[in-house]
Amino acid sequence: MKEKLNQYHIAILIYMTQSGIVIFSLPRLVAENFGTNGWYVLVIISLLVTCNIFLMQLVYRFGKGSSVFDILEQRIPLAVLSPIYILLALFWAYLGCLVGKQYILILQMLAFPTTNPMVFKFIFDFMALILISKQIYNITKAATVFFYLTIWMVFVFFFHFPEFSWLRLTPFIGYGGIGGLESWLEIYIAFLGYEVCLFLIPYVPEKTKVFKAVYIGNFFLTFIYLFICVIGFGFFSFGQLTNLVYPLLDMLAYLQLPFIERIENFLFTLFLFKVLMTTVIYFWIAKITLSRVFRKVKSTWLDLSVVVVSYGLSLIPQVISEVERLLRMLGYTQIVIVYVFPLLLLAVIALNRMSNRRRENPS
Amino acid sequence: MNTQQPTPVQQTLEQFMDCDDLIYRTYPVIQTELIFFGNLVDYQQINRDVIDPLNHVRMEEVPALLQQSQFEQETDVAKVIEGIAEGNAAVFHQGLMFLANVYGPEHRNVEKSETETAISGPHDAFVEAIETNLSLIRKRVRSPRLKAVRLHVGEIMKSTVYVLFIDGLADPDIVNEMVNRIRDIEIDGLIDANLLVQCIDDNPDSIFPQFLTTERPDVVTSKLLDGKVCCLIDSSPTAIAAPTNFFEFFSSPDDYYQRWILGSGVRILRFVAFIITVSFTALYVSVTTFHYEMIPYPLLLNLAESRNKVPFPPLFEALLMETTIELLREAGARLPAKIGQTIGIVGGIVIGQAAVQAGLTSNILIIAVASSAIASFVIPSYIMSASIRMIRFGLIVLAGVWGMLGLMVGLGLIVIHLTGLKNLETSYLTPVAPMKMSDWKDTFIRGPLWSSKTRPSQARSKNIHRNKMRK
Repeated sequence: MKEKLNQYHIAILIYMTQSGIVIFSLPRLVAENFGTNGWYVLVIISLLVTCNIFLMQLVYRFGKGSSVFDILEQRIPLAVLSPIYILLALFWAYLGCLVGKQYILILQMLAFPTTNPMVFKFIFDFMALILISKQIYNITKAATVFFYLTIWMVFVFFFHFPEFSWLRLTPFIGYGGIGGLESWLEIYIAFLGYEVCLFLIPYVPEKTKVFKAVYIGNFFLTFIYLFICVIGFGFFSFGQLTNLVYPLLDMLAYLQLPFIERIENFLFTLFLFKVLMTTVIYFWIAKITLSRVFRKVKSTWLDLSVVVVSYGLSLIPQVISEVERLLRMLGYTQIVIVYVFPLLLLAVIALNRMSNRRRENPS
Repeated sequence: MNTQQPTPVQQTLEQFMDCDDLIYRTYPVIQTELIFFGNLVDYQQINRDVIDPLNHVRMEEVPALLQQSQFEQETDVAKVIEGIAEGNAAVFHQGLMFLANVYGPEHRNVEKSETETAISGPHDAFVEAIETNLSLIRKRVRSPRLKAVRLHVGEIMKSTVYVLFIDGLADPDIVNEMVNRIRDIEIDGLIDANLLVQCIDDNPDSIFPQFLTTERPDVVTSKLLDGKVCCLIDSSPTAIAAPTNFFEFFSSPDDYYQRWILGSGVRILRFVAFIITVSFTALYVSVTTFHYEMIPYPLLLNLAESRNKVPFPPLFEALLMETTIELLREAGARLPAKIGQTIGIVGGIVIGQAAVQAGLTSNILIIAVASSAIASFVIPSYIMSASIRMIRFGLIVLAGVWGMLGLMVGLGLIVIHLTGLKNLETSYLTPVAPMKMSDWKDTFIRGPLWSSKTRPSQARSKNIHRNKMRK
């Protein structure tokens, strides 16, 4: 009666990992970097992500469902890999942790201006610790429930339709913004998180079409991003969009119901679950990476060390601009990793195959 | 040295020394002895099957009499002693031992359930006699495929437990898992089915009930038809059903006895009640402590007016009223029904009204607390309802300390906890996680019969189709 990961849950997990706090500033980021009707870049970036996922699918196919760590360790000695593993684990843990810190700082700004944000960060990390101490199957189940608790928020944006004007979308594309490499990378960061699929491979039954679920998760995210950005471009003028730090928060604040106002307080807090999933998944990747180095250490200690070390590191950036700058730096590095890592794995698989062939046919 | 072995009768009497309720009769003419517990047997049956024949039989006819089907020969004295304790009558004749099953102690008649009332549908409920309970199920499921595996639990009590399932519908792995778990129980005795479930729970430290318990034979029958496994234990009016999930505790047999649209409406109402009972008071505390800006201006004026006399912070105010409500509930449950009603009136009206007038609490909090309490009673399972009420206190404290974030943290922790729960190795959050969309139409709503053609996936039944109804 062993529990298995199925496609549906993988798709949700991918979506929940990818989507995060960046959605609140995404319409501004797109407007700033790509000008009027900048939302179209989301489609292009989504296609780039699809190509990257295809690279990872090749790793799955040629690696015959082996764990990425097993593939690496077949060719490279563990002694060489260990420091790299530790560095990567630290990097992923810090990335996950900063996503959480960014959320906490915005929340503090909105509702608790006098409270020390690290108190909230402590509670947040405590939840993350409980979740990573469970198996990936349970994490996925939690992601599914959190998905249902948050996905209905999309329908809130239908309330903005009366104020939506096609005129604001303008017939011009790219007016007011220049899309340099940094602009593309900045938007690409919003899509990160799908790389978790590489680490899920050993936990997926052979018959499950894991990558189909990953593509679906990514397309769903693209749809949500497009929906939010198009609504944002039609709701605000271009000038407003580029001036608002978190346009989505302002859109939510616009809503007024007879029994509740300032609904963004509630909805932004509900976003905790999405951010938690992103953090947890990066923590989980860090943990399984560390477990390859410290094989005899109990899983509980690894969970605790990942959370405690990243909590300690998260004390460094004090204000939100520092966190966002750091997150951008880490995000750029992660983009490099998500392309280099599967290529490296494919190279190792190819080398392994060649040496196997040589062994079979020594002549 | 006298090495003569004690006779089986002597051994039996020695074991039951100081049991003054034991009845020991001798029939010297026919050299026969009879031992039984008078309070465990059915007097009509023992007179008809054992005492009358022994009174009228001649010495040479005794062996023929003991060949009759009501007598079962035993060779082991220990078995005979066990049999007497279980309500059999033991007959000893010239070194031979026989047991006659004349078990039939006094028990309550089959009546309505007090904890699981239903407006329509059958009203009979289980009693404290396992054979009567089994008969209530057998008379509904008149099929040889209804299997009842008898087990005994408790080193001292040796209570009878029946594991019930329908052959061909229940998953053999789940049946075996249930049987093995019950066999593995090492305890002196189990008084009730609610204790039995605590011995076989996957997560004994969880606040949530992990086995569905019911006093209604119609519910057990429907679970058996779902392909699930049920258990009855002696001296308990409660049956257990497994595997179960969190959402199953929100369904009531009434849902199925009404038109499906009405049943669905009521089912949805219960989930709304769940949200209200979990979050309403906590939301009040959170909003009045940290997020005043969320209240629209006209409502804010009323709230401010209502709260201006209250000297306590909202957290303390809410905890005070919630505790009062819990005290009233507990007092109402413990007192006799007539006095219980008085307590309700005294507590609900007098204390509630007086608390507001004395400035201890606000009107709006009274509404919030009362709505939460009423909503908690909408949940059909008393145990689940009690668990949820307990959780509410935690959420109120979190909301009082960290506002909306605290409330979300609390909800998140509940979800994380629920994802880790299992019942007989199946997920407690089925059919949400793992996702089984086909089960949703009999989970969140009570779908029409023509659409609910399959058994719940959690039961893992090989025979998945339950009806061939057409629209």
